[in-house]
Amino acid sequence: MPVYNEAEVIGSVVKDVLETCPTVVCVNDGSKDASAAEIVKAGGYLVDHPINMGQGAALQTGIEFARAMPHIQRFVTFDADGQHLVEDAVRMVEMLEAGDLDIVLGSRFLGEAVGASGAKKALLKAAVKFSNVTSGIRLTDAHNGLRAFNRHVAETMEITAPDMTHASEIIELIAANSYRYQEVPVTIRYTDYSTSKGQASVNAINIAVDTLLRRVTRQ
Amino acid sequence: MIVVQFILIAAFVFLFVVAIRSRTAHSVSASKKLFFMAFLFVLVVAVLAPGLVTDVANLVGVGRGTDLVLYLLAVAFGFYVVNDYLRGQDSRQQLHRLARRIAVLEAIERYHIDSRDETDPDTTPRAS
Repeated sequence: MPVYNEAEVIGSVVKDVLETCPTVVCVNDGSKDASAAEIVKAGGYLVDHPINMGQGAALQTGIEFARAMPHIQRFVTFDADGQHLVEDAVRMVEMLEAGDLDIVLGSRFLGEAVGASGAKKALLKAAVKFSNVTSGIRLTDAHNGLRAFNRHVAETMEITAPDMTHASEIIELIAANSYRYQEVPVTIRYTDYSTSKGQASVNAINIAVDTLLRRVTRQ
Repeated sequence: MIVVQFILIAAFVFLFVVAIRSRTAHSVSASKKLFFMAFLFVLVVAVLAPGLVTDVANLVGVGRGTDLVLYLLAVAFGFYVVNDYLRGQDSRQQLHRLARRIAVLEAIERYHIDSRDETDPDTTPRAS
């Protein structure tokens, strides 16, 4: 769980997740508020970035810390602002265990986006089109923070994009490493809190440019 | 005219000396050093014989030597910007790897995590 200035909600989110998941790893990405203390108080593992490095970097750190614990076999990425439902995460882990899957991705558009504006939906759909074209993997939601995957994926995951571009990069990694993937509908709670904390829509341009640049410079 | 030539050539010689003497120059490939020296040599020639630049410009279909210099400058600047951007990304990535390693090692030590102990059933953080 990547955390950046979420002191207000992170405690309750961690407690909520801990009721069903045995281990919660929070990467505090150089928060300027009391996020770190809240994480510890709630009973989550705290990994502290010495500097702010971005959400993608924090995800990678969390994965690397979690995979150092050998008994952990299933990994879930979860947003810290409380927009995901634990029930969705549980369902995704069950799918991992039931099917021959390496990674299960949450999708807003197979499920329901509670409280999202029309403009936000349109933008997210455009982002999906873009992602499908650039990665060659067909998904209905390119930028969902809820993912469940097995140890094989955790061992081979190498996110280098520091910021929001990491979502596209993960999809590229799915293609490059031929992970067996599936999308499932999940519910997103767009609360006033998460909307005010979330991505400004202008950022879509940044993500698109970075994704194209990555394609150009890598090959 | 002579004054300008003197100042420009003095500047080029200064650049040359700085580039050759800097310690980081060891990490720059020989071909880049040769290219830089050739570039300075061309600059000196262009300063001493401005007519030559115009001749070259006419040869490639540009009216004035100054225009040719401007175009080349624009291209060089573009390369510089891209190169600088990519280098910035590289060093940012190195910094992130380093910071991540520190953060993970620090947390592993704080929680006494043994990466070989596969049977550890205790998955809540142990305070220390």
